[in-house]
Amino acid sequence: MAGPILEAQSITKRYPGVVALRDVSFELHAGEVHALCGENGAGKSTLIKVLGGVLPHDSYSGQLACDGKPVRFESIRDAEAAGIAVIHQELALVDEMTVAENVFLGNEPSRFGFVQHERMHVEAQKVLERFKLDIDPTQRVGELGMGQKQLVEIARALAKHARILILDEPTSALSDKEVRALLAIILELRGAGVSSIYISHKLDEVFALADRITVLRDGQSVFTAASRETDTSSIVQHMVGRRVDDLFPARSGSPGDVLLAVRGLSVAPRAGEPPRLREISFEVRGGQVLGIGGLMGAGRSELLMHLFGCYGQRLAGEVRFLGQPLPENDPAGNVRAGMVLVTEDRKRYGLSLDAGVGFNLSLSALRDLSRNGFIDGERELQENRRMMQSMSIKAASLEVKVGTLSGGNQQKVVLGRALMTEPKVVLLDEPTRGIDIGAKSEIYALVRGLTEQGLAVVLVSSELPELIGLADRILMLCEGQLGGSFDAREATQAELLSAAMSKSRVTVSAGEHG
Amino acid sequence: MDKRIALRDFSLLIALVLIGVFFYTRDARFLSARNLAQLGIELSATAVLSLGMLLVILPGHIDLSVGSGVGLIGGVAAVLVSNQDWHAPPALLITTVLSLLIYTGMGWIIMKERVPAFIITLGGLLVFKGVHWLVIQNETVAVAPGNQENLYSLLTTFYLPKALGAALAAATIVALGLAMLRGHRQRTTRGFASDGELVFLRWFLASQVIGLFVLVMSQYKGVPLAALILGVVALLVHVLLQQTRLGRYLYAVGGNEQAALVAGVPVDRVVIGAFALMGVIVALAGFLQTAFAGSSTTTTGQLMELDAIAACVIGGTSLKGGQGTVVGVLFGALIMAMLLNGMTLLAVSPEQKFIARGLVLALAVWMDVRLSQKGSGVRA
Repeated sequence: MAGPILEAQSITKRYPGVVALRDVSFELHAGEVHALCGENGAGKSTLIKVLGGVLPHDSYSGQLACDGKPVRFESIRDAEAAGIAVIHQELALVDEMTVAENVFLGNEPSRFGFVQHERMHVEAQKVLERFKLDIDPTQRVGELGMGQKQLVEIARALAKHARILILDEPTSALSDKEVRALLAIILELRGAGVSSIYISHKLDEVFALADRITVLRDGQSVFTAASRETDTSSIVQHMVGRRVDDLFPARSGSPGDVLLAVRGLSVAPRAGEPPRLREISFEVRGGQVLGIGGLMGAGRSELLMHLFGCYGQRLAGEVRFLGQPLPENDPAGNVRAGMVLVTEDRKRYGLSLDAGVGFNLSLSALRDLSRNGFIDGERELQENRRMMQSMSIKAASLEVKVGTLSGGNQQKVVLGRALMTEPKVVLLDEPTRGIDIGAKSEIYALVRGLTEQGLAVVLVSSELPELIGLADRILMLCEGQLGGSFDAREATQAELLSAAMSKSRVTVSAGEHG
Repeated sequence: MDKRIALRDFSLLIALVLIGVFFYTRDARFLSARNLAQLGIELSATAVLSLGMLLVILPGHIDLSVGSGVGLIGGVAAVLVSNQDWHAPPALLITTVLSLLIYTGMGWIIMKERVPAFIITLGGLLVFKGVHWLVIQNETVAVAPGNQENLYSLLTTFYLPKALGAALAAATIVALGLAMLRGHRQRTTRGFASDGELVFLRWFLASQVIGLFVLVMSQYKGVPLAALILGVVALLVHVLLQQTRLGRYLYAVGGNEQAALVAGVPVDRVVIGAFALMGVIVALAGFLQTAFAGSSTTTTGQLMELDAIAACVIGGTSLKGGQGTVVGVLFGALIMAMLLNGMTLLAVSPEQKFIARGLVLALAVWMDVRLSQKGSGVRA
């Protein structure tokens, strides 16, 4: 193999008060897929910013080289000129424009300042065909699924003659089928001479794809190996720096009273539209975790959001909370009554990112922390400190902006905010999505702790092992209906998956636990 | 973050001094006791309105109607007093309630019917202006018929007795010192960073400003009532934002509305509440502005919404919501009021006044964008 096409030598990047990268070296060879693993906050994002030219050359120490020649990236443009393109987690596409327009956004073929639409479509078609991307260039991007959008983003990079793709968690929002398609295309591109740096938490993808794997921990590169010569457990061990023997703590205790009962629930997104959820029934008891699974778009999040009162119009059915009918569309009332929701999308629904940790933590519980509308600053501070400690949130102080914390710590802040209200039922929507294994196991232990205190937890997750390991009962949703109900101790992944995909309705006797 | 705020506060102060020096060199009367008293009264209407605007911008909304609202409410009160022979107190009270209802209604439409605030209040701008002109029948309606002073006209013509002004100033300085000392003690015992010298320096500066202001005012007629009203409103809004649940919710809704909703913040009620408070503030600013002019005319309150928004932005309020402070807005309002007062003193033509105000606003936003870009070192 020839020398590396991209090489980073002893990169050190300091931010005020923290060293994000410490003497990290990294190599990418031609025709290679090199995976980058590490917990949140390990320094992956910072390394990407260095390689992608987001951080100018003078803001860190160390050297970059392309094809053995030293380079200095002052901007993203410099990196692009060297053939490096970063595909970000949050896609930068314009929904209202066509695929071709997005591919050539900012780079439109034009004559005398007028965009040549015809030529643009032809060129886009060429790029898409050359790399076997199956997308119609005249389609509006807004009509595409997440997986196809990802491909459009890749096509845009390829249209700029990128030969190095840096993919940052590209599959976190994709369905299994879309993931497989994306992985196939990355391998295809490798054959065509485009190398990739692949960042993911999902180790099965990493092993399916990567030629080599590098693990970052606490800003240092701790491990690099050919993927053939290593395995999942050793990667995980290097990531967390300790052994993770049992992610899921043991179940304990016996179920208590029914806290939440749902009967025959049908919900439409808006009045007059066809139902999104149909005839859903279940019960959750104190001390129990009810797992809800299903494929993307099965209606899992919609179910939680509706129960919490911020989604849809109820067409039929009844929801009882602590034996009382639950009012619709009153999230504030639900929080007061003892039901909290921790949403999937932290940035959109979770946190006020520019505000401090303390501000976010106490937001839900302010009613209990104030008298006649005036906040009791002393008590608020005590509660915040207690919560920060008990959730082991890693932040320099309560005044640090939440947006600067790692994903796992942000999630702990969202959870802490919910728990400070001393709820009885906790609705969790993908609580471990996009966070690292260390933080995951902490959150699992926390969920166990809640049920031991007699709380009921409704857990939506797309990771079947998580449902099986954590839940007492599991409901699988399929196209807005119940696809099956399982005792978690006896369920297998294959059974759950087939229930998620079955089209036939299964009648479920709600609330039984084996 | 800290650096950015320090830089911005600093730049505001520099701007204030520069504007002051500029006008002073052009016309020494600018810093005369008489003109400063005038400036204080002018400032009170704009600044009170700006504080209301802060309440609406914090949760991420905007109110373009307040200039017309000022004209309308001040006009209705003037008509009640002048043409209907009402006593001033009931006239002011009734029109305040009217304004409260109107603005609560607009807030309700914005939140419950999901019509953007920009559109609703733009409609309000036109409707209120039209109704205002109808009410005063395009004439000049005096706030004090027959030049008989009443509560309405006294709002801007009454000056506190000099002894009372001095006593108030002394009390304010002491209270401020105690409050700042208490805050400093609390922060240090709670383990937060708090620079004792800096706190003292701030208190010292604030005391100097208050003392100087009262001293200069007493060379003329004493502290204007309008300035005292502004001080009280500023204090109330400050306490509302810093100490109450509603204040915290205003920041939360502006910071991330969806997150606030999921966290159990009654978002609709919070925003409608902000507009309701805006209604009361519009009435107060309307009385001050109309009383200052002596009568309600078709141009009373004109473009005040832009001065209020400009004051917020210059003072560091984010138009996206979630960020802004009372002190910043007061600085912003002072800059706008000084510009206008100075230009009037120099008999600058109205055309040039418009251009200058517009440029200052654009410059302020530009600087805001520049400073916030430099200040944010994002780390993922």
